[in-house]
Amino acid sequence: MGNNLKNELAVGKSEIGVGVERPRSYTNILPYMLVFPAVMVILLLYLYPFLASFWKSFINKEGVLSLANYEKTLRLYRYDVLFTLGVTTLSTFIATVLSIFVAVYLRLSKGWLSNSIGILYRLPIFLPFVVIAQMMRSFLAPHGTLNLFLAKLNLVNIENPLQLFNWAGLTFGFVWKQAPFMILIICGGFQMIDDSYIEAARSVGAKLPQIITKILIPMNKPTILIAVTLVFCSLVGCFSFPYMLIGGKSPVTITVDIAHRVNYFGDYGVANALGVFSYIMVSLLALYYVRSMMKKGLYD
Amino acid sequence: MQKSVFRKTIEIIIFTVFIFFLFAPLLSLVIWSVALRWYWPHTLPQEIGFDYWLQALGITKSLTLGAVNVVPAFLLSLGIAIIVVIITMAIAIPAGYSLAKLKIPALLKGIILILFLLPRAFPQLPVFLNLMLMFNKIGLTGTVFGVILVHLVVGLVFAVWITASTFSSIPPELEEAARSVGATRLKAFFKVTLPISTPGLVASAVFVFLTSMDEFTGTFFVGLPFVTTLPMTLYTASGSNIQFASVIAILLLIPSILFMIVIQKFLKAEHLGGMGG
Repeated sequence: MGNNLKNELAVGKSEIGVGVERPRSYTNILPYMLVFPAVMVILLLYLYPFLASFWKSFINKEGVLSLANYEKTLRLYRYDVLFTLGVTTLSTFIATVLSIFVAVYLRLSKGWLSNSIGILYRLPIFLPFVVIAQMMRSFLAPHGTLNLFLAKLNLVNIENPLQLFNWAGLTFGFVWKQAPFMILIICGGFQMIDDSYIEAARSVGAKLPQIITKILIPMNKPTILIAVTLVFCSLVGCFSFPYMLIGGKSPVTITVDIAHRVNYFGDYGVANALGVFSYIMVSLLALYYVRSMMKKGLYD
Repeated sequence: MQKSVFRKTIEIIIFTVFIFFLFAPLLSLVIWSVALRWYWPHTLPQEIGFDYWLQALGITKSLTLGAVNVVPAFLLSLGIAIIVVIITMAIAIPAGYSLAKLKIPALLKGIILILFLLPRAFPQLPVFLNLMLMFNKIGLTGTVFGVILVHLVVGLVFAVWITASTFSSIPPELEEAARSVGATRLKAFFKVTLPISTPGLVASAVFVFLTSMDEFTGTFFVGLPFVTTLPMTLYTASGSNIQFASVIAILLLIPSILFMIVIQKFLKAEHLGGMGG
């Protein structure tokens, strides 16, 4: 931070130095002029509708301020709110554990196997959820590729295939897409740890589990927490995948309920109350994220 | 020795499982896109061919296949994405430069940064819903321009962060040196800062391009049923025709993979999480 201040001071000084070329007032408002369009776009097209979702959630069908939408939301969608929280938490948990294991493996293991995993695992990061949705529809279907394969291995009775168009398939798709992203972030953190720490621990007899729990994870706690936060928040808000996988069933995620509420009933009050529930669900982690990004600033 | 063979075996088993779960869903998509007849429980399709591909690409026009030409949808997505990239970068580059290099009071800067962090932390769907209500009033719902505005918001959040961190990684001494020999601020920017930041800015532009190509939720609320971008076509086909939907899904994932392989090393890992939400 001290450095930034110095830079700013330096820039400020040079402004005075060449101030003869242009009137001072121009350089004074230049920073604001340059950010103005971007800020206006976000204020009008993001912040205003964001705040409107809170406001509209308290307006009932007659246009009067009330808690009716929340009462209705809790009555109709209580279970879906818990379902969303459950699936998201489970997916984030599995993705975190899996990605820590893979990241540890990539950090400590050398050879062509780990090298090729180190490149191939990135693939899902780049795929949009809408493509993943279609992929999982054909892969996880009762008569889909996974069941076919498991039946060939005699792990599944072909007459009674696994039903995965539910929380399980949703979790599978979420983990498939997000674990690689977490591996990427966590790997970046692990690379920063010097080999000498690990060798020192080994030389005093530390085994692999100790190296993981005493060195790699503690030294990367902030990185891992950021990864957990980004994944959890993106999954709570994910729409295309749950909508295409389990859209017509129950229970579904909050985002699917919102779309149904709007498309079938034109009920914006309850839809917005559901939206507020999704905000509340991510609020703790979102605040943590905003705070830690602010601390880091742009200059890391 | 025994132990090392044992370890290698375990490693290879884990590797196989990993490869299976990574590629089997993808392979399933590819096989379905060429499956003409595939009855359960046959391991592979009984009849394969490129009929759905030819139909989707507009080369054949059969009324019996249940697939339509997706070239118009692709061109629409492409056109929207290009316009979105141009507008977004024109707004994001000055903003990123100002946030990274110019003097803005700390409090105001903090507020601006929070403004650009909120959309990444909180679910966006309720926002799009209310954006739709706003757009209803001014007649933008169901228009291409409305969809462009939605994609602009989605892309701008990332573009400002990426451009700002690109600019802030350039030492201020360079620009100062140019200005000390008489270059104006504008000239110093175009001759010094901009050329050095090109890789970061291009990465940012490609990122915005892909978020627009893949955007689903905002287009679903603001664009449907009149603006059918490629992801919307995929959604519509998904419930009814698995082969056709698989073809569109593959068409959608090709640009993502191609571009990201090229630009990913210019992007911070955290930004990649914004792909295709």
